[in-house]
Amino acid sequence: MTETTTVSPAQPLVVEEGEEQRGFIGQNIPRKEDKRLVQGQGVFVDDVKRHEMGYVHFVRSPYAHARIKHVDVAKALELDGVYGTLTGDEVAILTDPFFELSTPPGAHIKDYALAVGTARHVGDPIAAVVASTRELARDAAELVEVEYEPLPLVLDGEEALKYDVVLHEDAGSNTVWSGTFDWGDFDAALAEADHVVKIERLHFDRFSSTPLECSGCLVEYNRGTGQWTIYGNHQMPGVGAIWMAPALRVGLDKLRFVSQDIGGGFGNKITLHPQFTACCLLARKLNRPVQWTEWRTDQHTANTHGNERTFLDVTVPVKADGTMLGFSVRAIDDCGAFPRYEPLGCIIWAQVTPGCYRWRNVRVDFTQVCTNKSPVAPNRGYSRMQHLWLTERIVDIVAQELGLDPVAVRKKNYVKHEEFPYETPNGCVYDSGDYARCLDIALGLIGYDKIEERRVDAEARGKLLGVGIGSTLDSGTNNFGQSMILNPELQFSGNNEVATVKLDIFGEIVVTLGTVPQGQGHETTTAQVVADILGCTPDDVNVRAGHDSYWNSHAGFSGTYASQFAVTGLGAVKGAADKLADEMKRLAAAVFGCPPDAIELAESQARIKGNPEAALPFMALGAILNANNAGLPEDLDVTLNVRHVYRPPFEKPDLERKYGNLTLTYATQVHACVLEVDPETGVYEIVDYAAVDDCGKRIHPQIVEGQVHGATAQALGAATHEIFTYDEQGNLLTPNFYDYHVPHALDMPPMQTGFIESESPFTPLGAKGMGEGGGAGIHAVCAGLQDALGRRGEGPIVWRSCNPYHRVWELLQKPGDTRRLVSVESR
Amino acid sequence: MLLREVEYARPASVQDALRLLSGHEGARALAGGQTLINVMKARAASPDVLVDLSALDDLRGIDLGADGTLTLGAMVTYTEIVESVEARARPILGEVCSQIADVQVRNRGTIGGNLCSNDPTNHLPPLMVALGATMTILGADGERQVPADEFFLGVYMTAVAPGELLMRVSIPPGRSDGFASVPIGRDGTCIVNAAASLGGGSPRLAIGCVDAVPVLLTPGSVEEDAVREAVRGANLDPPSDVHASADYRRHLAEVLAARAVQQAQERRH
Amino acid sequence: MEAGTAQTVRSQTVAVEVNGVQYEREVDARRLLIHFIRDDLGLTGSHIGCDTGNCGACSIIVDGTLLKSCMMLAVQADGAGIETVEGLADGDELTPLQQAFSEHHALQCGYCTPGMLMSATALLRQSKSPSDDEIRRAIQGNLCRCTGYVNIVEAIKAAAK
Repeated sequence: MTETTTVSPAQPLVVEEGEEQRGFIGQNIPRKEDKRLVQGQGVFVDDVKRHEMGYVHFVRSPYAHARIKHVDVAKALELDGVYGTLTGDEVAILTDPFFELSTPPGAHIKDYALAVGTARHVGDPIAAVVASTRELARDAAELVEVEYEPLPLVLDGEEALKYDVVLHEDAGSNTVWSGTFDWGDFDAALAEADHVVKIERLHFDRFSSTPLECSGCLVEYNRGTGQWTIYGNHQMPGVGAIWMAPALRVGLDKLRFVSQDIGGGFGNKITLHPQFTACCLLARKLNRPVQWTEWRTDQHTANTHGNERTFLDVTVPVKADGTMLGFSVRAIDDCGAFPRYEPLGCIIWAQVTPGCYRWRNVRVDFTQVCTNKSPVAPNRGYSRMQHLWLTERIVDIVAQELGLDPVAVRKKNYVKHEEFPYETPNGCVYDSGDYARCLDIALGLIGYDKIEERRVDAEARGKLLGVGIGSTLDSGTNNFGQSMILNPELQFSGNNEVATVKLDIFGEIVVTLGTVPQGQGHETTTAQVVADILGCTPDDVNVRAGHDSYWNSHAGFSGTYASQFAVTGLGAVKGAADKLADEMKRLAAAVFGCPPDAIELAESQARIKGNPEAALPFMALGAILNANNAGLPEDLDVTLNVRHVYRPPFEKPDLERKYGNLTLTYATQVHACVLEVDPETGVYEIVDYAAVDDCGKRIHPQIVEGQVHGATAQALGAATHEIFTYDEQGNLLTPNFYDYHVPHALDMPPMQTGFIESESPFTPLGAKGMGEGGGAGIHAVCAGLQDALGRRGEGPIVWRSCNPYHRVWELLQKPGDTRRLVSVESR
Repeated sequence: MLLREVEYARPASVQDALRLLSGHEGARALAGGQTLINVMKARAASPDVLVDLSALDDLRGIDLGADGTLTLGAMVTYTEIVESVEARARPILGEVCSQIADVQVRNRGTIGGNLCSNDPTNHLPPLMVALGATMTILGADGERQVPADEFFLGVYMTAVAPGELLMRVSIPPGRSDGFASVPIGRDGTCIVNAAASLGGGSPRLAIGCVDAVPVLLTPGSVEEDAVREAVRGANLDPPSDVHASADYRRHLAEVLAARAVQQAQERRH
Repeated sequence: MEAGTAQTVRSQTVAVEVNGVQYEREVDARRLLIHFIRDDLGLTGSHIGCDTGNCGACSIIVDGTLLKSCMMLAVQADGAGIETVEGLADGDELTPLQQAFSEHHALQCGYCTPGMLMSATALLRQSKSPSDDEIRRAIQGNLCRCTGYVNIVEAIKAAAK
């Protein structure tokens, strides 16, 4: 059901004089990963077994906030089959607190592998038990006696700012980070406005992508060398090591991370360092491998959620012709009990400050606070999704309240095609795109020109029809220098990724990656790129599956996250393959006695151009250098074993003005949905859906579309049923898939897709990172509901990102409750 | 996640099952396991003994009597009901069973399990009450019949006492039935459900998810106003949870009751 | 009527045939079938994704019936014939269904895939040319967070031809 629209012609990649050769890039080659995965031969972390290993079960706090008075493991240790335990007291002695990214007071938060002294959310791990079977570990955990003294709790970001209940005494405050961003001249914009629309409050709800495979690790400790080997599904092991090594008081190299297949990450496997550290301590203490697999309930209650964000006092100056001049807002981000990867979320949204729009005047007052809820992690769309939702709600509500056409208003305010590369008010450079065209395609796919007829038909059936647009950006390849805007003391900037490519003695091409794929098809797209450069086929390219620190193909920022593989991962691959190609040509040239630029690589050979008889197959090249190299020129500097570190072209941001380019690429997604609401029940159904994406050069179109489908499904779940809600005692009410409803095959609407390719001028392949999707589905459904329910000046306002049936019904029942959130001052 | 230690037996006869169920205080019958195993995984309940009913042929089979009575053995699965030719005599049965969860669950879940677990959000308790079904329970003193509106006693509690066994469910003839629900996602857990049946006399209407047991109402007529009035008159006090407030459930009860009755009306002829 | 003599046991020997191979193991009554298959028999193709029987990653076929093996005890499967994802391919030869999954990019991370394949296998045994809706109903009990199900439906449709 894919409607292909304009595609830039497949660029030939191996262009020799007078010759053009169709490359593998842009083709849908069979995925290398599939053969093992469809046979159930993948190796996921719980599949790994070691002789005599122990199974870990964590004892977790039933209280949202409590002093831990006493932990007694004696009874647990008596149970036959129990190998040992670990408590917070031990952790406090054996490790140092994890490195905090924030400035004071957030910097003073003490975060350990187990709760030390205080439990700060339901599910906070208090102790760990290791036993010979999973069942025994579970049984033993029940025998651990913990004496708690419950404390008052805080479950709301705004409440947390009152400091009546403080989670971290060492910090003395619940504020992790706070700051103001002010670009352009908002006050002048206000003065210039013909209308000022104010939205008192909008709220982006807590949810997460809940990958199907839970987190886990199997840790082995080598006493003789002090080396830990962690088979674990951490999706950013470089950063994991940066947290764990100092905490464990060892060098980084003592932590070897290995993974092969990972069952989805979506950002929820980035902050696993506390659990992994506990397992490292246990492996060392008990002198045996220890295995931990997270339960689904634990993933929901105690692993991670996406950021929950409240937007207050949104103020939007608008001109009479519908031009919006910018906005101001006070944002409160609730990051749960521990920041961990936070406060990076406090700046990451600034990659897309004006969303898709040409707004020059933006003021954001941003505060991040701790509450007694599950900690957050960079869930798919991290921080940009929340902000882009804000911009789309703004456009929608302004359009509705001023009686403007949501399509016309968007086109009027969108960054225009001819304005790219476009610099935003805070110095980010949107590389390329054509938002208006994507919107037109999306509207065409849902039959927008016939919408009013459909509305009438729906009404005849007693339903309210709504159309919603969600435009969003998928910013990819971070400049980690943005972290310095939050904390100038941090020594992080730029980005990197690594790849190695070698030509072995028998002519085998072997590639290793620093990335940690969780289904994105890295082995396959890598092979496409390498094949095109070396003049062979993807089948000839062996890409090692997964990740291993011992390959030494990783760097500080290695991992798979933030929609960047096509740029950073493939940038590293291209760099390494280019270097290898150059070496192969120079080697062949030395053998043939000709200049290197007379050599071409094609059909798995190095040969003299115009003289195909003079050819060296790859095997010969590999053999000559590795086994038969006498007589080669002394100055021939060739190893056929190349390592390349890709570094995107970034500068350190201007910390004073909070200004600079924070991301290299910006993929576009414009979605449109048509939905029908049953006003009697609040139940609604999405009856038509279109997703249009633009990620520049598509290396493997099927993989790109797969990401679009998946991102859409996750967004639709987040828009309709997926929400993490707590009761007054801080218990999560949706701790499993029974209550937290994830869309299944029958829940999905009919979906059409379209695309264009606006190549990025900044990347080695013209490709942009994509995959996260920016939450377009959430924006579109909220807009659709607003259209179905709203009426200018009277109807309810959709102010929350997740709208389950009961919420829709409440909007219908009491429009006044939400109506009063919006006011319009016209001059 | 993982069960506590448990003892297990798979008896070959109904009498042996009774002996085991009555002989151990913490004994529970294991039917399809689609509810009980999950409860035990969460350790919300941990029976000491599981009596596996899967070998008891006496609890299987769907029989359509000459008088139109449909009898379903307690161990009949939802899939069997959906696929049964006999069960087409009362089409609402297959229709409702095909709305339960998914294929895997329907292949194992049983009518007996659904009724005896009596989770307030289950589909079959309100349906059986509306249809006027009769449950046959086997106890120490032999078999006894319990009408559906006396079968459900409380949350997770039915007239099947410890040591007893639900044998079969008998459903009188008829076809004018309706069922309406608002589930969480397609075929998901019900937020509110309502079953209606029009026999010769006044409509029987049973609302689920609003109380510990299905609420049986007999509105004066099938007119929508009468149905809604009957629901309002019941002064329902439904629970509030993450999926719905009490008010919302109360409102849905009215709407779904009307829809269930209307569906039953449409099938009258 | 005479009472029977079934005894309660805390553990017992379980004999199963899995993908045509006989296995016999001593197992605790409380052991879930999915853990028995994965840990005791070393067949790690079937996966676990939840605690509540919702995700379907553990879907297998037992005596011809598709079910979720996390809601069954190993002891209940004594004497059964079991099919898991490892038994689909014939040596190196993938089935048309498995090939279709790859051709249509119906898998990304591959974690839900074994369960999906078993559900699709069960469907295609019953229905030679299922409609889109029938396909979706057949995999309703298999959650996927990567693909949005679009390509999975296409793959199953293609395999049915």
